[in-house]
Amino acid sequence: MELIIKNGAVYDPVNGINGDKTDISVRSGKIVDKVSANATVIDAGGRLVMAGGVDAHSHIAGAKVNVGRIMRPEDTRSGIKPRTKITRPCTGYTVPNVYAMGYRYAQMGYTTVFEAAQAIMKARHTHEELEEIPIIDKGALTLFGSNWPTMDFVREKDMDKLAAYVAWGLLASRGFGVKCVNPGGGEMWGFGKNVSGLDDVVPNFDVTPREIIVSLMKANEMLGLPHSVHLHCNNLGKPGNYKTTLASMELANQVKASKDRQVLHVTHLTFNSWGGTNWGDFESKADEVANYLNNNDNVTGDMGQLVWGSATTMTADGPVQYANAKLLHAKWGNGDVELEDASGVVPIYYVKQISVHAIMWAIGLELALLTKDPYKMLLTTDHPNGGPFVNYPEVIALLMSNKKRQEEIKTLHEAVHARTKIPGIERELDFSEIAIMTRAGTAKVLGLLDTKGHLGAGADADISIYDIKPDQIDPSVEHAKIKSAFSSAAYVIKGGQVVVKDGQITATPPGRTYWVDASVPGQHTSEMMKDIVKKFKNYYSMQLANYMVQDEYVTHAQVVKAGAIPVEVS
Amino acid sequence: MQTITIKPKKEMKISVEAENICPDKFAGKTEKEIQSLEAWVGNQKTTLGELFSIIVEGSAPAADTKILMEGDFSRVKRIGEGMTCGLVIINGNVDMHLGNKMSGGNISVKGNVDSWAGREMKGGELIIEGNAGYYLGSGYRGETCGMRGGKITLLGNALDFVGEHMCGGEIIVKGNTGILPGLSNNGGKIVIEGNTSRPGSEMSKGTIIINGIVDEMMPVFKFEGNEDLDGVTYKKYTGDVISNGKGLLYVK
Ligand SMILES: [Zn+2]
Repeated sequence: MELIIKNGAVYDPVNGINGDKTDISVRSGKIVDKVSANATVIDAGGRLVMAGGVDAHSHIAGAKVNVGRIMRPEDTRSGIKPRTKITRPCTGYTVPNVYAMGYRYAQMGYTTVFEAAQAIMKARHTHEELEEIPIIDKGALTLFGSNWPTMDFVREKDMDKLAAYVAWGLLASRGFGVKCVNPGGGEMWGFGKNVSGLDDVVPNFDVTPREIIVSLMKANEMLGLPHSVHLHCNNLGKPGNYKTTLASMELANQVKASKDRQVLHVTHLTFNSWGGTNWGDFESKADEVANYLNNNDNVTGDMGQLVWGSATTMTADGPVQYANAKLLHAKWGNGDVELEDASGVVPIYYVKQISVHAIMWAIGLELALLTKDPYKMLLTTDHPNGGPFVNYPEVIALLMSNKKRQEEIKTLHEAVHARTKIPGIERELDFSEIAIMTRAGTAKVLGLLDTKGHLGAGADADISIYDIKPDQIDPSVEHAKIKSAFSSAAYVIKGGQVVVKDGQITATPPGRTYWVDASVPGQHTSEMMKDIVKKFKNYYSMQLANYMVQDEYVTHAQVVKAGAIPVEVS
Repeated sequence: MQTITIKPKKEMKISVEAENICPDKFAGKTEKEIQSLEAWVGNQKTTLGELFSIIVEGSAPAADTKILMEGDFSRVKRIGEGMTCGLVIINGNVDMHLGNKMSGGNISVKGNVDSWAGREMKGGELIIEGNAGYYLGSGYRGETCGMRGGKITLLGNALDFVGEHMCGGEIIVKGNTGILPGLSNNGGKIVIEGNTSRPGSEMSKGTIIINGIVDEMMPVFKFEGNEDLDGVTYKKYTGDVISNGKGLLYVK
């Protein structure tokens, strides 16, 4: 099956294409240099063409997401759409059902999405949902930051065992990368406590968050994993936490990257760039965080942009969610995953006239606009923590139009003037920078730039066409058109197949699930497994034999090989 | 004035979703137009005209629209959903979700209503001469704000959870209620003339006044002494103390 897209205004920053009219040829699901004269022609008619969107941080599947659905039946009642001949029924806004996840991402032109946190023990559930999310490719990052084996091996300074554990944990969870959430805090939450900084000692384990982060980064690079360590910093949700964030970013200097990418990705910085000492003097420190990123090349971040209205906060950061539920008098879902972290789910409603919310809205935008290199600041809403992913087009429009931002600022709590810099920032991002924050950059940060995030030969044929003519639109003024075009793509092609036309789903092929198979020397694994066997015997409520996610749960697997020793790929 | 008279054509065994029976939807419409409005019987789509005989007299805007319902509507749900004005008079029993999300107008029922009557209502008045089911004036599953405004008067008895998650408005029950009236309240006022049990748990705001016998008190209220309300002496409590609540509970 061949396809050629003609007359598109192509934005493909990886290949240096900046709005040029370039034809894109597709054969057998891949982008190629040339196709035969028999190829099906799609005439883009001068409209905007980009690679399929790639989301590096979203909560789309697994135990937390489902707790959100269970505790928010009122959310399920919004977004109801009956089945059609092609699509299955959709429900929900902040916690949509599995089908809506796939359709809504595809309708925005996104074709690859990574779930940001799964506990190994709960991974089977994550994969059961990923299997059912149609169209998009996906994968899941696995939590390691408060796991007992991690903390034991960090204390023993046994990097071989730690690397072997990470490799085995990725296999057990069919996971793609190393997620580290409030390291040490998840364990302390089991005792109703938290860590308050990088140097607090986790009782019973005698390790600090600093040691956990550095050791996991080292193990990550020993294994040469495609993605770097993906960190949710300590002290998230507390005024003044930007200092902890900066100190965590500095830890990256202790480790050398094994690949052409960052050594540390610090996520949803809207929640981690807070100044002040309490809710009264709360202020944005996004400028300090952006400044750090501007001066260092080994760390990347993502926005976690706040969006007005209903959101559902969900994280493996159990203690912060208890604090949130108390603060907001809100429903509270709490989870404990035995030897592997905690979790919490709390609904929230972001209001323009609440000072803290107005400042947080500004922080996300400041991060994106003050960070010079868009490869270092990815576009996310930390769905559904800052807001549901369907609002990405709103965020894109805000980044491309100072006029839109100024109109919005007029409706916000006045604190946005004194405690953020957003009113004075005039920068407006162009299509190329948006393509980086939503495609090229996300693919690079994930380590998937060979096949994702660009339109060069060899890439997956994941392509979006939007109903805007870049040479005829002024995004600064016509921001409403920008938003509506990115909300509902004219065409979306996934793996060479047209899946969306004029904003409507036309086909629902299953997506693939990426996971990483990292090899380590056999003796390291057998040494490490002695400890794991003991843990199961003494502490886990389940048997080791039932722990691993079986291949039956990942029927469209895309296995990425990595490892400390080279392996033959058959 | 426009008057629409509705009678069931036959006995309904399967529940009917009839949110189109509403002054705002009927106003200014002809008999034919109203008969062709959508309704659902179970999972089958049908029209109001298939299920009910509908007679229309006159034509008027919604505020001057009166819906007169005669007969047994005990399997008909969502009557008056979201109504903003006008009048609905029901001479019979109705199923769940009567007047849910209504913001104005008046609904008056001679018979009994099933659960979730007046759920999440914002304004207007609901008068029920018979008994009510569970969750009178409450929030539906998951909602953190139930009744927000308006007034419900119930002459008979109600089952459990009257005014759950209530945020505003007023509910007056002349009879008895089941357990936990005013559960998780965050505003509004509930007056129960009859008996009840375990009122006001998890209250953060709002007022509950009970003139009958309280079978059992939740141990989460702080006794504040006696207080007179309109010449009657009540025992005054505040709570729920566990969640630092500022709710007021008066028991005779
Ligand atoms: Zn997240």
